[in-house]
Amino acid sequence: MKKQTVSHKMFAIVASVLVVLAAILGWTAFSHPSASAQSNGRIKVVFWHEMTGPAQQQLIKFSNEFNQSQKKYEVVPEFEGSYNEAVQKIINTHGTDASPAVFQSMDISTSQMHHTGYTTPVQKFIDADNYDVNKISAGARAFYSNQGTQLSMPFNTSQPVLFYNATLLKKLGVTPPPVNPSYSDITKVAKQVMEKSNKKVQGMSVEIYGWLFEQFMANSGASFANNDDGHTSTPTASNLTGPSTVNTMKWLQTNVKDGVFANYGAGGNALNNEIASFLSGRLAMFLQSSATTTQLTKGNKDQVGITYYPHPDGQKSNGVAIGGASLWISNDKSAAVQRGSWDFIKFLMTAKSQAEWQAATGYLALNKDSQKQPALLNMYKKLPESRVPGEQLAAAKPNNTNSGIFMQGLIQARNLTQTAMEQIYAGSNIQQALQTAQSSLNGNIKNNNRANGY
Amino acid sequence: MQAEVTPAPKPKVDQSAAISHKRAKGYNLHAGDKYYAFAFLGPSLLVLGTFVFYPMLRTLYLSLFLTNNVGRPTVFVGLKNYIGLLTSSAYQASLQATAIYVIGVVALTLILGLLLAQLAVKKLAGIQWFRTIFSATMGVSVSVAAIFWLFIFSPSIGLFDQIGNLLHLPIVAWLTQPGPAMTAVIISTVWMNLGFTFLILFGALQMVPQPLYEASAIEGASESYQFFHVTIPMISPTLFFTSTVTLIGAFKSFGLIDLMTAGGPNNATNLMVYRVYQDAFLSGNYGIASAESVILAVIIALFTLLQFKFLEKRVTY
Repeated sequence: MKKQTVSHKMFAIVASVLVVLAAILGWTAFSHPSASAQSNGRIKVVFWHEMTGPAQQQLIKFSNEFNQSQKKYEVVPEFEGSYNEAVQKIINTHGTDASPAVFQSMDISTSQMHHTGYTTPVQKFIDADNYDVNKISAGARAFYSNQGTQLSMPFNTSQPVLFYNATLLKKLGVTPPPVNPSYSDITKVAKQVMEKSNKKVQGMSVEIYGWLFEQFMANSGASFANNDDGHTSTPTASNLTGPSTVNTMKWLQTNVKDGVFANYGAGGNALNNEIASFLSGRLAMFLQSSATTTQLTKGNKDQVGITYYPHPDGQKSNGVAIGGASLWISNDKSAAVQRGSWDFIKFLMTAKSQAEWQAATGYLALNKDSQKQPALLNMYKKLPESRVPGEQLAAAKPNNTNSGIFMQGLIQARNLTQTAMEQIYAGSNIQQALQTAQSSLNGNIKNNNRANGY
Repeated sequence: MQAEVTPAPKPKVDQSAAISHKRAKGYNLHAGDKYYAFAFLGPSLLVLGTFVFYPMLRTLYLSLFLTNNVGRPTVFVGLKNYIGLLTSSAYQASLQATAIYVIGVVALTLILGLLLAQLAVKKLAGIQWFRTIFSATMGVSVSVAAIFWLFIFSPSIGLFDQIGNLLHLPIVAWLTQPGPAMTAVIISTVWMNLGFTFLILFGALQMVPQPLYEASAIEGASESYQFFHVTIPMISPTLFFTSTVTLIGAFKSFGLIDLMTAGGPNNATNLMVYRVYQDAFLSGNYGIASAESVILAVIIALFTLLQFKFLEKRVTY
């Protein structure tokens, strides 16, 4: 009988431990501080972003300035990791207390974000406030709008440009590429660099990067997907095998084969190695996002030249699309919180904020009035070349082929185009590599449209 | 505390009648014992159910659907996700890459681990120091290892390229060419695994009874004969254990791939697990990603079973 009492005690202990555990679990599950709760009488506006380094510092500074400028809202910036991961986090937290009120989401997630139905188009607030959007860059706005509705506000925006080491070219006695170069202009410079440096300096590099692939198509006026790159209706197929794309790939392949273009591969490591080579004077030219300008010029003794993205020979450049991310307003928050989000977006888009943003980060100032702001004027004085990306953006007239691709599943699409580029760089048959990418992509598009009921 | 044997739950009736009859007599449950069974099994069942069984079933379910842009299953496609995957050349390439990676990692880890353990078991001056060094990679995190190896493999400024330059050897673009990239990733993984494998095998070698060696030495057996006919059979249970653990670990390898090559170049190191991650958390294709996870789980289970079936026969306990 004594044993029996011991086991009863054991049972009581186990049971009580379980009860305590359950209580703790329950408490943690239900005690999350409400995201829209008011703190010190202000309405809390949670802002998710994916910026690191100087851009993150600047965003925190903007949030503080906004919070001091008024007493109604309190913006709380929260870093959410990489662009890709953030998209899934935003979608999966929607409708819960953990979701953001306003968030930054990358360029190629635009169609997906819109189609989730989780957001309030900023157009609603633009109309309500009679906000003058004409002050904001048309090319950037076009990327984030659909059928005349502004879905989100373009924010951190960059342009693909050609960087060259001006000091190095001068030393070698090579004339730098013109402002708006054609493919053959680039080849000529790259070849001369190779010859005059006895192959010690690599002429040119085009990173294996889906974004650059898309920009080559945009600049030659070719559509990536049908239905005008999705701007008129949901795309049902892609077009990667057109003559201009094949022509571009042939240009790249020939130059890689001849050793005129260096291959740094794909991914973050490729970019780092490209920049390292450029900074150490072993690479004369490369195509990259204008957002790297600060990194390339800071502490660099050599003068860095910047020109427009190259275009095919025998035709005018159609203009390239932007890269970067935009700001969205979630529709799972109260009207007051959404209003606070919009006020914060307006604050970020003022001429002053945008000028400071470009000076701090290298992302382009989108407000046209920013050009007269001291922050930008100082920067141009120090680094005249830093005007070029903004000029390229202003020069392009937005049309359906240079305003991004309004299609879902673009992350996968980039994987496919990158694989094609890798194969082409390695010497594979161009038509075949592009055809493979196109077939896979068309399969994905079909499945995606089916799953979403389009 | 308790002298009694913990009562086993009553077996189901549909089992072989004779056995169940016998057991039922031996382990008859008292009325109150059921509560104890629940109290003890409950917590683990709850945790396993929530974090293992439910996700497993959910994965199986999702793998039969196409998922929409918010990750909800919308269109039932049956086995089409599986068929599509298994017939796509990209997925076949991924399977092949995984096979090369797993075989390379398991073979090299076991051979090198055993070699190091055999060296370290010798009683020499300062051997303690070497034992510590050999097992040191156990304390290295994946991210540190990746950064370390990236420095070594980096083009133009990497250690290997510097050495190659010095000795006028041809420069290998380690991480931008398919073949070398796979080699680089395998080398890094083997290096990461070595510490653990070494430690386990070293422990096993120390447990081999000394008289066996003495007896075989009297019989005139050479050292290599001793190694293959005394050492290997005696440590075979441990070898079996490490090979299984390394195999499963290699199939699930993610961190190093993500940090070193991100699946590239040209998908050469896009292993099965990495594809699952890409499809689920980058592309948001939960249906396809679930199908990929199921295939991966089946393959791992199959290999583990095969190992138990064939290798275990050669294990001397």
